[in-house]
Amino acid sequence: MRKSVRKLMALALACLMVAGLLAGCGKKNETIKLGWMGSLTGDQAAYGTCESQTLKMLVEEKNAAGGILGKQIELICYDTKGDAQEAVNVAKRLCAQDKVCAIIGPNASGQCIAIQSVLDQYKISDLSTVATNEKVTVQDGKLKEYNFRVCFLDPQQGKIAGTFVYDELKFDKAAILYDINDDYAKGLKDNFIKVFTAKGGKVVAEEAYTGGDTDFTAQLTKIKEADPQIIFTPIFYQDFIMIHKQARTLGITLPMLGGDGCASEVLFDAADAVDGSYVINHVSLVDPAGDSFRQKYAEKWNGAKMELNGYMAHDAFLLWCAAVEKAGSDDAQAIAKAYCEVEVNGMAGKIKISAEDHNPVGKSGCVEQIDGKNKTYKFITYIAAD
Amino acid sequence: MDIQYYLQQLVNGICLGGMYALMSVGYSLVYSIMSFSNFAHGGVIMVGAYVGFFALTALKVPFLVAFLLCGVGSGLLAIIIERLVYSPLRQRHAPSLYFIISAMGASIFLENFVIATIDGTPRNYPTLFSNSIKIGSLSLGLDSLLMIIVSAVSLLILMFIIQKTKIGLAIRACSYNEKAGTLMGINSSLVIFVVFMMGGILAGFAGMLYGMRFIVKPTIGQVTNKSFVAAVFGGLGSLPGAIIGSVLLGIMEIFVASINSNLRDLFVYALLIIVLIIKPSGLMGKVVEDKA
Repeated sequence: MRKSVRKLMALALACLMVAGLLAGCGKKNETIKLGWMGSLTGDQAAYGTCESQTLKMLVEEKNAAGGILGKQIELICYDTKGDAQEAVNVAKRLCAQDKVCAIIGPNASGQCIAIQSVLDQYKISDLSTVATNEKVTVQDGKLKEYNFRVCFLDPQQGKIAGTFVYDELKFDKAAILYDINDDYAKGLKDNFIKVFTAKGGKVVAEEAYTGGDTDFTAQLTKIKEADPQIIFTPIFYQDFIMIHKQARTLGITLPMLGGDGCASEVLFDAADAVDGSYVINHVSLVDPAGDSFRQKYAEKWNGAKMELNGYMAHDAFLLWCAAVEKAGSDDAQAIAKAYCEVEVNGMAGKIKISAEDHNPVGKSGCVEQIDGKNKTYKFITYIAAD
Repeated sequence: MDIQYYLQQLVNGICLGGMYALMSVGYSLVYSIMSFSNFAHGGVIMVGAYVGFFALTALKVPFLVAFLLCGVGSGLLAIIIERLVYSPLRQRHAPSLYFIISAMGASIFLENFVIATIDGTPRNYPTLFSNSIKIGSLSLGLDSLLMIIVSAVSLLILMFIIQKTKIGLAIRACSYNEKAGTLMGINSSLVIFVVFMMGGILAGFAGMLYGMRFIVKPTIGQVTNKSFVAAVFGGLGSLPGAIIGSVLLGIMEIFVASINSNLRDLFVYALLIIVLIIKPSGLMGKVVEDKA
């Protein structure tokens, strides 16, 4: 008696499972699944959080307006913890388990480079927001079929930095302090030196540290001794803040110039220390054209301030929408193909992806000065990236 | 490179060493009584940094109150860890390896507990002391100066307690020989309680000062690895040793970093290995074989 009950139960369970499978199949085409990945925790959490919140807001809007191709968009967001290995796991989950039609993110080059093999395996495209390293789309002269981006590149950013310091500020003595363990920092540093010295500038001190270090007084004292006019710091905002704090206590009042990794609202936590320094950005954070966008975001997310990543996520989403419409379906390969065929007007200017290298063409970078007293940025100039 | 430059680097080194000192004393205190390295100390420091951060930003209390709260919070946490984690092991007379493993577990637990309950986002203390002090052409931040003063004052108080009070006598007796001390009527549980409390309070102060000067995040407990090296270098179990070891390590680290910053950690951990090979008792430590 007991045995047969067990058998019956097993049979019932098996039936349930099969039913579940079938139910899953039936639902498959009701929504269009878009994946997002990025840092929701860790040092770059502020960036990832802003990206995911922006996308959630935009997807909600788009769905309320009828969705895309008559279907609702389902956004699936995962945390990469700022870690390349975790990014690979997350990418696999999005591709294999959630079966998304495209991925937006992650917000750092190292993670974008790491997920390439997963993208190639599942033939699903990734459209990166702020991954500026060259190798994200092209490595060893070979185009990565499923990696795209909407931002400018490190060489271009290094060039913007060098041009700005020499041509705009008219400085010819610069020091560099960078994280030797970080590809992003090294990429910017090398290209800055190339452009700056070619113009006639001189790098009087080149100091490094290892990611995770918190004490920079030894390097800063050395830089002070070399007497530069500006310190180029191609790093991320947390180190940027710590370096500023320590420099000010050492009596170094020089301005510093950071890349797009420094531009964050978090900087104003240390407003006094960072006052007067410059950051390069993809888009001006104080441009009146973005006012309504920022306001919408703040209303939706409890007064949260818009980070650069929000603008880039916005542009990536626009491009994705255009590509889906062009492709006419949620077929992952058709969308990847359509990325190079569409053109949109984003927050950071016109975006047209080149089929040759999957990078946007004709971008420019904007340099802003930090106004610590009013806790805002002051727009300085636009510099062409190409 | 004139003399001013080297003097400035020396000041930088002393500032760094002062911070290590405040942290390494906690290691040495526990080691002197219980002969194991309390790696949970880093976690306690990290929690102290968070207590200070939220006291200043959420409760908006003045600096001094926040500072004392850090001490209270971390002191309590250290006692709780002792009661929950080490006390059961002690009662079973477990080998010191068990203590070390539990301590590492507690440290990782605390890190992840903060990530799970607060989050992993790094935070910055509000600016409390933005001024720097100039002595001739040397400058040092008020926060660094405060760090040195707090280190010095709390260490002096600690030394006073250990050298001049009755409980201090009991601590010294237990650190010399716990079993004999217990036979002489010393309540060794109480001694251990006091030692963890003192270590915890210092950890709280260190956490807040660290947070003010640098950053608050769940992984800051890892910086205490270097203060542990300082404690070993000075001689684990010896308080003056921990202080001298810390300041020397801070100065050496800064000078190595000023030559080539990539070598600083290489140098610090090479020093750890060399000390353990050549003079395991460190500069001033008691002679023991087991320096785990």
